[in-house]
Amino acid sequence: MKRFPALLLLASLPFGAVFARVDMPAWDNAGESAEYYLGGGLWPKSLIPDAAVAAAQPGESTGTAAAAVDLEFIGPPAPGVVAASAPSPGPTQFYGPAAGTEELAGGDPSLQRVRENPDGTFTVPEEIVEEEAYEPLPPLEGELADLYFAHAPVEFLIDPQRLLTEQKSNDIMRFLEFHADESKIRIYVMAIGENQKVPADVDIEALHQKWFSDSPAVLMLYYREQPQQTQLVFNDSIRDSLPKSVFDRILQNCLREGAVADLAPDQVEKMAIELSIQLYWLSRLMETENKEDSPLVTASSVHEMMASPDAPELLREYAPGIFIDESGKMLSVILTVVFVLGGLCVVGCAAWIVMWWRGRENVSGEPLLFPEFRITRRLGGEFCGGGFVSMSFELNEGT
Amino acid sequence: MKCPRCLRPVDHEAASCYSCGYSEADAAAVFGANHVLLNRVHDAAHCLRKQERDNLAETLDQLELKFPQMLFCAYLGALPANLGLSELGFWLLNHGQVKGAEYARPNENGILVVMDLNRKQIGISLGYFAETLVSEEDGYRALNAARPNLVNSEYGEAIERIFLKLGKVLDRQGRKLKKLTREQLYATLSGATNPILDLPPHLTRPQISPPRAEPERETIRMSA
Repeated sequence: MKRFPALLLLASLPFGAVFARVDMPAWDNAGESAEYYLGGGLWPKSLIPDAAVAAAQPGESTGTAAAAVDLEFIGPPAPGVVAASAPSPGPTQFYGPAAGTEELAGGDPSLQRVRENPDGTFTVPEEIVEEEAYEPLPPLEGELADLYFAHAPVEFLIDPQRLLTEQKSNDIMRFLEFHADESKIRIYVMAIGENQKVPADVDIEALHQKWFSDSPAVLMLYYREQPQQTQLVFNDSIRDSLPKSVFDRILQNCLREGAVADLAPDQVEKMAIELSIQLYWLSRLMETENKEDSPLVTASSVHEMMASPDAPELLREYAPGIFIDESGKMLSVILTVVFVLGGLCVVGCAAWIVMWWRGRENVSGEPLLFPEFRITRRLGGEFCGGGFVSMSFELNEGT
Repeated sequence: MKCPRCLRPVDHEAASCYSCGYSEADAAAVFGANHVLLNRVHDAAHCLRKQERDNLAETLDQLELKFPQMLFCAYLGALPANLGLSELGFWLLNHGQVKGAEYARPNENGILVVMDLNRKQIGISLGYFAETLVSEEDGYRALNAARPNLVNSEYGEAIERIFLKLGKVLDRQGRKLKKLTREQLYATLSGATNPILDLPPHLTRPQISPPRAEPERETIRMSA
């Protein structure tokens, strides 16, 4: 009897499975159910031209049905396909690239693959050749040449073609202005294209003398991304005061700094900084130069000279790594020595205290009582049985 | 222990030396049977200056404060050639009476430093009680520590250093005895754990008594 409810429940389970159905949501308004498809239709029923066919065969669309119903497609056209000729989508139609667009995609060289020919050879797709980053610049002629060479420069960076980036140009210009404030020899940077050349009728040295005869200045002629072609033009007064080797070293150092960077703005920046440093030492050399120590100048390297504390603060801020901070080094060395000696002293004091504590001979502390006991006498002694330890302190004898 | 005359090992309760027959009676025959009065630092050789005596007296005061049961004394003399230093120490501890030593510091608790300036020898005589606390090795180390002062004739400083070294030994021994149980204490005092001589421990075990209540000393033989 107890098994009867269980058997009844087991027998009733198949009935529930037979009469089960999917519980679909019901439309609030019965009229709307005829206008929309349930279960994923994106478009109202009235916009689907082959509604009957789509309902009968979902996922298929026929051209004849589209042609039969003259309705305009509102959805987005497939890429590469003209909207007017596109087939009308059904309720479950694929909206990706149409079949006709594959041929157009195959025409793109980037999508080509290696194909094997019937004769056994392979067709390798052509490599994509990147176009040059810079457009070819016009030659320095006419108005463009006048922008460079017609008048004395007003700003320290002469770049009418905007070959350098705006941000870097501002940075370089600000640095050159600071340098002009701090140094006697100003720096003018003239940036031209890598394929441009100074016109033949322009003598850059004569132009330099014409522009900067009253005040010492250096004109750096920079070719974009070609730092090895850089030219430095000095005043005759400067060039005559020092041997040529000094100027050669300055140029070498500038070219070396420029070769470190790849981009033109960075190259100009590094070369300007290096030139500023070299000009600082050049001015120092010119101040100390006289006829007696001229061999010293030729023998000493400008770059190897040690920085002094009175170097321009501008250079300290802009390129702090180039200075050798002797005071900081000495301070660190002194601190290190002090710390080491202090540590040794502390360790020595601790060791001495430990040794002194272990070896101290004074007797202090609370009185110490021993447990009393009696020992049998020997040799007839009342208090002493002959316990004895001796030693000789004669120099020539042992114990 | 060793015989003061022939320095041969002697049993714990031997009445006389098995080798030479030496006993306290022989010492009395040589030095006298009477008792003598000793200073705490008895400078019979007159080799200590006042500053040294004062410093040594100060050190002995500290030691007596630290060890109220122990007697610290010294005898410095120029002994004749036929007189052994160990025999003198044996006789002095048995017949000497140290001035100022109260009853709580009997001679059996005494540590006597004996020095012979003629033969340049120095020794330490130990009473029965002191023998149990200071081993021969400790005594020798204390003498050896004072050797530079002895060589330089700084006798006061040498004796002071010897007593301080022995004080450290007593301090260490006292702390060690405090940690021992009663049985371990018996074994330690009877010399069973650290025999100095190559002799078997005696059957008689020392009796530990509460702080001194009666002056009479007796040996209580424990039945095995």
